[in-house]
Parts: sequence; structure tokens; C-alpha cells
Amino acid sequence: MASTSSTTAVKALSFRIVMWLFALMTIIPFGLLLLTSVKSKQDLFRGAFALPDYPHFENYVSAWVDGHFGIYFWNSIIVVVPVVAISIVLGLLTGFAFAFLSFPGKKLIFVLLTIGMMVPTEAFIIPLYYEMRYLGLINSYAAMILPQIAMSVPFATLFMASAMQQLPKDILEAAMLDGAPRGMILRKVIVPLMKPSISSLGLFLFIWTWNEFLIPLILVNDDVYRTMPLGMLFFQGRYTVNTPVLTAGAVLVIAPIIIVYLIFQRKFIEGLTAGASK
Amino acid sequence: MASIHMQKLVKKYGDLTVIPGIDLQIADHEFVVLVGPSGCGKSTLLRVLAGLETIDGGDLFIGDRKVNTVPPSQRDIAMVFQDYALYPHMTVRQNMAFALEMRGMAGDEIATRVQQAAKLLDIDPYLDRRPKALSGGQRQRVAMGRAIVRDPQVFLFDEPLSNLDAKLRAQVRTEIKALSQTLRTTMVFVTHDQIEAMTMADRIVVMKSGVIQQVGTPEEVYETPANQFVASFIGSPSMNFMPVTVEGERLALSDGHTLPGTADLARRVPEKGSATLGVRPEHLAVVPKDEASLMANVELVEPLGSDTLIHFTVAGTKAIARVEPDRRPRPGDVVPLAPVPGKAHLFETASGAIIH
Repeated sequence: MASTSSTTAVKALSFRIVMWLFALMTIIPFGLLLLTSVKSKQDLFRGAFALPDYPHFENYVSAWVDGHFGIYFWNSIIVVVPVVAISIVLGLLTGFAFAFLSFPGKKLIFVLLTIGMMVPTEAFIIPLYYEMRYLGLINSYAAMILPQIAMSVPFATLFMASAMQQLPKDILEAAMLDGAPRGMILRKVIVPLMKPSISSLGLFLFIWTWNEFLIPLILVNDDVYRTMPLGMLFFQGRYTVNTPVLTAGAVLVIAPIIIVYLIFQRKFIEGLTAGASK
Repeated sequence: MASIHMQKLVKKYGDLTVIPGIDLQIADHEFVVLVGPSGCGKSTLLRVLAGLETIDGGDLFIGDRKVNTVPPSQRDIAMVFQDYALYPHMTVRQNMAFALEMRGMAGDEIATRVQQAAKLLDIDPYLDRRPKALSGGQRQRVAMGRAIVRDPQVFLFDEPLSNLDAKLRAQVRTEIKALSQTLRTTMVFVTHDQIEAMTMADRIVVMKSGVIQQVGTPEEVYETPANQFVASFIGSPSMNFMPVTVEGERLALSDGHTLPGTADLARRVPEKGSATLGVRPEHLAVVPKDEASLMANVELVEPLGSDTLIHFTVAGTKAIARVEPDRRPRPGDVVPLAPVPGKAHLFETASGAIIH
């Protein structure tokens, strides 16, 4: 009896140690990034883990001003907000169709959407460039917004369809019997019930769109349209020697993602575990 | 208010025929209960009535209107679901008002109807609560309220009491019965619980494998079951069945024991000479030894307060007798029993059909 409980305790301890190791592996690089971003150049020579005498927040000011992050930040917002919003709306509509309606070619379109998710951006970036050039959209917000909506819709559709299929069937049937037309069922019944899933999808799309690199790199070459990840690339080229300012720039790039995650964290987790229990 | 008429109604799922062709007439204002075991097609039939399932053959009329292809929203019916199906993000008031808003009814009229229904169901103190803040019984009342405010031609209930505990189930059962008498609307109620069927229905429809076995008043299906299935399904505990043959002018059990006083029943047995005798537990009376048909060797006793159930085995078949509450035999005792005259039934061995 005693040996069984001690074996269980050892197993639990080992598991905890492994978990802590994984947690530290994730947290330490991020912690180092934050720490370095508030050091001076001199502080760097005292070791990676050495604390600065005082936090050098001026690194952030330098990065923001010298790295033109003010422009890149707003460009990213201008691109991300419509991509996320339009993709969610389209995902709700197409997801509803896949979840509840019968239409010709449903399976074929479903397969096409799945394939659409598998194709990497590198595979179609050249034809996309020519297409955008033909449309006269190179060096415009539209060049970044439209392709990213198209890239987000397959995932949004499958995500929304899957989430809608998990909704209690009785509630949707009750709405039908109550005389609600399809659009009203979607707006008044499904969307309010899907808030956790919509939050999760929004967060996924926000992260992907915010971090998108190749599309702005190829389709935009004017600095006034560049987004944060692209700005970081050019900033890196100019500030290779000033590591603290560079890391401050990196923190500026990822900060919005962390802030958005923290805001939607609760709903996000609800969304991930939706349907797991009654 | 409206009658319902089903003519050779068929429902299939792919190659599987769930309802092979049902004919049923439900009168205006009638409270009909569809009862049967799980998988008998009763809920499917209700969903077909609601328009939530398509019809694969035959015709369905609500009132004088053929509704085969009429969408659910235009059938003027209201349905109470097993899991209540309330909108969790809306208050009770919003839940009840939703259907009326969809009809474009004026706000004042909606408020009046919601208030009246809430008062009738005693849920007016909870109108501004969300469903999650209500108990199971209160949620069930809200589900009924949502149906009532619409003032529909037909109410459909899909096992609405199955999620409630025994005490609450009895209470809500009574409330629905009272409601049916107040509203005087045609009601179709689906359940697998024969007690609900017996206590609530004007007429009971007993179903098995998508086929109607019997339609009748609770008294009819209890007193004169159409076949062995109905006899076993209606009544609790279930009817006792014993294989019998004709020996001279009496029925005899498979162990050769003849049953006195069964000459009348024996005459009904067809020429092949074998049948199944059915006697309800409450129709087995304790009699003096010299009048006994069966000598029950008591195996188990269940005192229920109002009466006592005696379990015994007769000719290799398990059987139950319901006797007076003050009679408390012990396991191992022998109790002389005899069927109450005129209350035993005979069924064909092969088909299970009743032999009159």
C-alpha cells in the first residue's frame, strides 16, 4: 500500500518536473527578450541574465520612432481588422451553409476548401503577384487584405461549420418552429451561442494575419504600406548592432498579439473546449 | 384548433423504413399519447407532424390543409422538446416572445400574451431570468409557456418529462393535463412511460417498430389489449404470461398442472390446442386453498405501502401478483392464487394476437 502511494507520488513529481521544464523552455526565451529590451548596450556585456541598473524604456521610444513602427503598427491594424472581421462574417455564412444546408457540389467544395488550407503561400505567391499587378493593386492595402481574406475563409468555414454542428439541434429546430427565417436563426440564435467559437476564430485569424510576412513582402514595396513583421525585417537591417533596440522592436511586434490573447483568453479557452461537456 | 389526419404515412432514412405506413385520425381538442419502447418510431412520427422530418409517402392533414411539404413555421404548431430547447442567451420573457416577434406582432400584444401565459404557468416571477438560473421544472414550464403564447392549432410534446425527477414529473404531468383541459387544444404527447400515457391521454396510440399496435382510450388498451405486446407494455408491473394447452375442458400449464375454472377460456383456444394465458398482477387474487388455480411459492416480496407485490415462478415462468398491503407472506411461503373471473386474456402463441 505504502509502496503504491510512493510510486504514484514519484510519477506525479516526474510529470511535474517535465511540465515545469517545458514551461521554462517556453518562458525563458520570452523573458530574455523582455529583459534585453530594457537593457543598455553596456548591460549586455554583463551577461544575458544580468539585470540592468534601471529599465531603459527609451529603447522602445527609439524603436517606435527610428523603426517607423508607428506607421507599421497602424498599417497592421488597417490590414488585420478587415481581414478578421470579413473572414468571420463570411465564415459564419459559409459555415452555416455547410453545417445545415444541402446544395449541389457540397462535398466537392468542401474538398476544395480543405485543399485551399493545405497549399502554402509560397506556392501561389508569384501568380498572385501577377494577378494583383494586373488589377493595379500592388502597393495598396487591398493587395494585403483581399488575398488574406481568401486565405482565411477556408479555415473560417470549416471552423464555423464544425462549431455550428455541435450546437444543440433542438434549439435550432425550436427557432424553425417559432417561425424564424434562416437569416434570423443565424443572427438571433446561432451567433449569440457561437460567441466563444467566434472569439477563438478571431484570435487565430488575428495572429496569422498579424504575423503574415510573405504577402506584404512581395505585394508591397512602399514603406508607407508595410506591416509590423516586415517593418521588423527592415529595422533589423538598420539596427543590427543595437540589440536592445532590436528586441524592443520585436516586443512591439508581438505585444498586440499578447494583449488580444489576454483580452479574449477566457472566451478562447471556452471555444477550444466547446462541446467537450454538456 | 384542428384535427390531424395521417393517411398511409411513410418515413424512411435511406433504405431503412422507420414508419411503413400509418393511418391515424386525431380529433380536434383531443389529447393523444403516442407510447412505445425506444426505437418504435413515436418521436419520428411527432417530428414528421412538426415538419422537422420529410414525408416519404402518404399524406398528412392538419385541419383541412394537406401539409406534406409545408415548412414547420407555417404549420401553426408548437412543440415542447425533451431538453426544453430554450434559447440560453435570452431571458424567459425573450424566449416566450421570440415566436411572436417573428410574426411581427405588436409589442403591447406580445407583452400581454407573455404575461398571461406566465401567470397561467406560475412563472411570472422569473420572466427576467435566463434559463440557467431556473430549475428543471421551471425550465419545462417556460418551454410550455413559449408554446402557449403562440396559441397554436396543435401542441406537440416530445417526452417533456423525462429529464425531471419522479416527484416533479408527477407534478408537471398533472399540470399538463390541467392545461389541456383549460386550453382545449389538440395535443400529441410522446412518451415511453405507460403511466404518463394512462394518466394523461384521451386516447393512447401504442406503437412498435413503426406500426400502430392499438389505438384506444386508456381503459380500452388496459382492459382489452389488442395483442400480447400491448398487454405487456401497458400496466405496471407487466402482465404475467404463461404458455397453456387445453386438457379436457380446462387450461393446463406446461408443467401439466390444470387450472380449475378455465373452461370458458379453454373453449376459445384454437384447434392446435396451445396459447398464452395473460393475467395482470392485480387480477391474481388470494383465495382459499380449495379454490386456488395456482399455488405460488413466494420468492420475493415487495411491500409498496398501497399494496404488496409477490414474486413467484409458475411452470418455469416468472410471475407477479399484487395483493392487499396487509398481506405480507415471507419468501418460501405458499400462497393460493386464482385469476379474477373475466379478467384473464388469451393470446395466440405465434402471432401474439388476442383470442376473443
